[in-house]
Amino acid sequence: MTHPHPRTIGGLVLAACLLASPALAADTITIGIPVGLSGANSVVAPSVVQSAELAVEEINAKGGILGKKVKLEVADDGSGAAGAQKAFDSLIFQKKVDVLISMETSAARNAGLPIVARGKTPYIYTSFYEGRSCSPYLFVNAWVPDQQVAPIIDYFMKEKSAKTFFLVGSDYAFGRGMLAFTKSYIEKKGGKVIGDEYAPMDATDWTAIISKIKASNPDALVTSTAGGAPNVTLTKQLRAAGIKAPYGNLAVDEGTAKAMGPDAEGIYISGSYLTNIDSAANKTFLASMDKKFGSNLKTPNDLSVPQYEAVYAYKAAVEKAGSTDAAAVLKALAEVSVDGPRGKITMSKQRHAPLTMYLGQVQADGGIKLLSTFKDVDPGEQCPNLK
Amino acid sequence: MAERPILLAAGMAALAIAAFAGATQILDTYSMNVLVRSLLYAMVALTVDILWGYLGILTFGQSTFFGIGAYAAGLVFMHVGFSPGTAVLALAAGIAIAVLVAAVVAWLAFWHGASELYASVITLVLPIVATQVIFSGGTWTGSSSGLSGFETFDLSIEAWFVLAGSLLAVATAAAWVVMASDAGRLIVAIRENEQRCKYLGIGTARLKSIAFLVSAALAAVAGYVFAGYAAVVAPELVGFVFGTELVIWVALGGRGTLLGPVIGTVLVDYESAQLSGDYPFVWKLIIGLVFVAVIVALPRGFLPILGDGLKRLGRWVGLGGKTTARTATLVTAARRTVATASDGPAIRIRGVAKHFGSLPVLRGIDFEARAGELVSLVGPNGAGKTTLMRCIADGSERSGGTIEIGGVSIGRLPPERCVALGIGRKFQMANVFDSLTVAECLQIARTRIDRPSLVRRSTELALPGPAARVVATTGLDQRLATPARLLSHGQKQALELAMVLALEPKVLLLDEPTAGLSKAERMLIGGILTDLATQERLCILLVEHDLDFVREISSRVVVLHQGRLVLDGTVEEVVGSETVKQIYAGAGHHGAPAEAAR
Amino acid sequence: MTALLLDVVTTAAILFAVASGLLLVFGVMKIINFAHGGLITLGGYAALITTQLGLNPWFGIPMAALFGAVAGTLIERVVVRPLYARPLDAILATWGLGIIIGQTIVLVFGREVQFAAAPLGGTIDLLGESYSLYRIVMVPIAILLGLGIALLLNGTRLGLATRAVIMNEDLARGLGIDSTWVRFVTFALGSALAAVAGALITPLSSVDPNMGVPWLVNAFMLVLVSGTSLASLAAACLVLGGAQVIVSSLYSPVLGGITIALLAAIILRTRPQGFARG
Repeated sequence: MTHPHPRTIGGLVLAACLLASPALAADTITIGIPVGLSGANSVVAPSVVQSAELAVEEINAKGGILGKKVKLEVADDGSGAAGAQKAFDSLIFQKKVDVLISMETSAARNAGLPIVARGKTPYIYTSFYEGRSCSPYLFVNAWVPDQQVAPIIDYFMKEKSAKTFFLVGSDYAFGRGMLAFTKSYIEKKGGKVIGDEYAPMDATDWTAIISKIKASNPDALVTSTAGGAPNVTLTKQLRAAGIKAPYGNLAVDEGTAKAMGPDAEGIYISGSYLTNIDSAANKTFLASMDKKFGSNLKTPNDLSVPQYEAVYAYKAAVEKAGSTDAAAVLKALAEVSVDGPRGKITMSKQRHAPLTMYLGQVQADGGIKLLSTFKDVDPGEQCPNLK
Repeated sequence: MAERPILLAAGMAALAIAAFAGATQILDTYSMNVLVRSLLYAMVALTVDILWGYLGILTFGQSTFFGIGAYAAGLVFMHVGFSPGTAVLALAAGIAIAVLVAAVVAWLAFWHGASELYASVITLVLPIVATQVIFSGGTWTGSSSGLSGFETFDLSIEAWFVLAGSLLAVATAAAWVVMASDAGRLIVAIRENEQRCKYLGIGTARLKSIAFLVSAALAAVAGYVFAGYAAVVAPELVGFVFGTELVIWVALGGRGTLLGPVIGTVLVDYESAQLSGDYPFVWKLIIGLVFVAVIVALPRGFLPILGDGLKRLGRWVGLGGKTTARTATLVTAARRTVATASDGPAIRIRGVAKHFGSLPVLRGIDFEARAGELVSLVGPNGAGKTTLMRCIADGSERSGGTIEIGGVSIGRLPPERCVALGIGRKFQMANVFDSLTVAECLQIARTRIDRPSLVRRSTELALPGPAARVVATTGLDQRLATPARLLSHGQKQALELAMVLALEPKVLLLDEPTAGLSKAERMLIGGILTDLATQERLCILLVEHDLDFVREISSRVVVLHQGRLVLDGTVEEVVGSETVKQIYAGAGHHGAPAEAAR
Repeated sequence: MTALLLDVVTTAAILFAVASGLLLVFGVMKIINFAHGGLITLGGYAALITTQLGLNPWFGIPMAALFGAVAGTLIERVVVRPLYARPLDAILATWGLGIIIGQTIVLVFGREVQFAAAPLGGTIDLLGESYSLYRIVMVPIAILLGLGIALLLNGTRLGLATRAVIMNEDLARGLGIDSTWVRFVTFALGSALAAVAGALITPLSSVDPNMGVPWLVNAFMLVLVSGTSLASLAAACLVLGGAQVIVSSLYSPVLGGITIALLAAIILRTRPQGFARG
């Protein structure tokens, strides 16, 4: 297969390009989904793809968008920058998609943004993140720290009379971003942060930090680690060490909490989506997911539901703009609303969306008990330079 | 007279650049996008190949130097802004920091006594530490999210493609020139037998460090261009996973070839962009399986296999031109005017001791030898003869005492610096470079004196008189193009002797130079040695078991027993000594008669 | 202070359990087994299977030993044996094997974090400090492991042959010791030990396809500074593991995470024999 001459590579490449014929037909709208099928996001990625598939199926069953069929193109971004560049290149320049809608790591999103700008393609980001990512092509319909932190801290201060807090995070952008905001929020509300500690992103040994927590004996504990192993190991080791303070975990999702079993009991979580939201839209959505995927269903969560809603947001924007023209769609995206499982959502605030947030507590059986609801929490100043 | 492959290389590079420029006309934007990155990765893979395939340093850390170049661009453009001035500044900073970090790593990894495994593990620690540093940088480095959205060079995709292709072509051509030069031969020799190189006065640790620094700088340049093109930097560019991917690409393409790794990288990286989207885990599994299979069964990688196949095909069709093995022609080196040494002893040994833990092997050894003397060290097995040789040739060996060569103390100098003082050591087992030809082995031995060129392969083999005489009298001059591994045992011994003499030493250490040789060969060597002492005024220290041989050629004999010097005298004094007889009788079957009877 | 002391001792015990298998393989074969991380992961999944079968969690340890030994046997025969003469290639090949083990686990069990039942939980009051019971129990377990290996090396014919190969393989072969067999058994044993370590850390960690990776580099460095002796490994675990805990506690866990690797590199540079020979 190899031949030691550069020009031959050119030939091979050319052949490969001809084989991979871009699906470009005037009567279809193509949605690109770069997502972490491998790497750190690979656990949650299948649920994200499933919810996008449901949205597309529903839309096509009702006649598509402006009479055009909608088609999905999924590409693996490897949950990182290098993979994202390949995925974005492939979707934008090879598959020539009309829009990118995806849940990704921040590294992947950042790597994709210059390519999005070069391809002038609208991009809806559907993952909660540390905030303040701004680009003329980017919209976000998931939460940022400003929205997620308040419910847990307010609850701990009011209901648990917590004065002193201990913060633990993984040393990466999301962990640092979340806890930096948390710290300033606690201090603004008159509480005191008596410790904030970070461990390496892949760390699974929390010994030293746990000893510090025990020594400082805080009223409440808030953690924001990388998902998966670091989060799970921290929780297990906290429990094994017998730490009993109220424990808010900013990075755990329903599914993981359930799988963790008794160790997860009592954890407070906060998010814009819980499966037991009591609304007609959510019940219909869950029923449709169940019907479409049956036993293969990946439990819908706070990452997959925004993905579902974002497809509808794009539909609304195209219909408002009357075409898939990027500039017109980008203008419309800030104006249209979607009434989905999470309620009515508009990405009207500096490319971000005010969201209804929920505070829940993990129960002994792994279920989540809804403690309180916070209506339309504002995302705050995310991109003051964009309108 | 020397060959100049540089013109050929420049021509090939120009051709490749023209091909890249032509390719922009056929390739679509997407392919060029993917290939720009692949080409830059290939440039880093090339540095991995130079270090691992040619020099034998298995490195997992080249990704870090790539990342340093990339982050230099990212950080400067993000926090200072983009202008022609800052662009130059960022490139300079990237290279400088990469070289600095490489210097620290080289200090940790390459030193006299460091094992290959240890060096490898150090290069593994590097990307892990570097990733941690970037994660800890908060918003300044962008932590795990990396940096994005900075202004950068406003070039078209075609321009980037040609730029990346040109860089790769120039780097590959330059590497080819170096590998085809005298320096390239030296690099292979270091990989093959680092110990022999050190005792030929070659500072291998220093040369390895230099290669490591140059490779780091090249990788940083590739990283800088990458960041300029992609307008994004992320921690994974620095990390261990990328570092090991580079090794995989090189292994698959063919380590120790230049085009193999380049092609391997471009193909695997390009194909993974195509295939991994559908089956990410299966794809990784396949890469893992192929990689293990290649390491176990095809350690040279795919390109050499293909090359062999093509050659065979060519021969079968009858096209294959005869590969004329060109080799250097023998000339006599100009006699170097050596500052006539004072009439002090050539070597002076005072109170030298050596112990392994609590076990003493040498105690209080004192003796001197002058130029023109041929001193034999004798004694039963375990007397410490070879240990004493080691202590003389390597300053870090002895536990106590002083050794002076021509009045200069060797202190704690490593072997290569001891050679510079005038020591030449021949090992007990013939120790040559098996894969190099006789002429090449001898050229390597001249490295200390005839500085090897980075761009030319010299066609002359300049040997000093004594070395030339050994080569001529043993018939090696007829076998200059023969790989050393094909020589007979006696010829290997002669070759090593010639190599050591090519160093133009003042003190020659010979450890059983005639072991395993025929009677005729022994006579020949004996004659050469006496000539060296009497005519060339060399000081020769000889470890020998064959007392008849010792008696014939020595001017003095030193007897060691149980780590002590028991007698230092003329041949007659030693032969007539009762002490010596007792020692050998007491040593039982290890005694001299048994050895002499071999 | 008590907590710090307990942290140091228990961390050292865990590190010792994780590195002992690697030490054995390094001692006999002079190669660093990069598949060690994969084998640790395999042990974690053995514990997971034990949980899924509804067996007593302690049963996960022999289960892991069996998994590890079988994998080690295969690896030695197919991959490591042809590479005796090429130690650097053996490193690479075992590293490739690590990828293969990881990706196979992903294909069979999926990428997600899973949970094996812990044999022990809760806390214990010790020296006036309430401390994780399982971590405390790791100390006697590590000591038992160490004693077990020492007994095997010093009390059996195979152990004698193994020690002979460690000291001087050529000489041992000359004395009629089947060094190929010794290498084979050692590799299988080292792999079993790695898997056992994987099962042992599951109550503190999670079970996922990459669970072994974070342990890998620290285990390498500990083994490199220990040479071939169990006693020096124990010393290295206490000193370097202790340094990690102290740096994490007093300065930053991020720096703590690279303490072992950095200290070991510097120790080897300035004192090449590391912790060996006092």
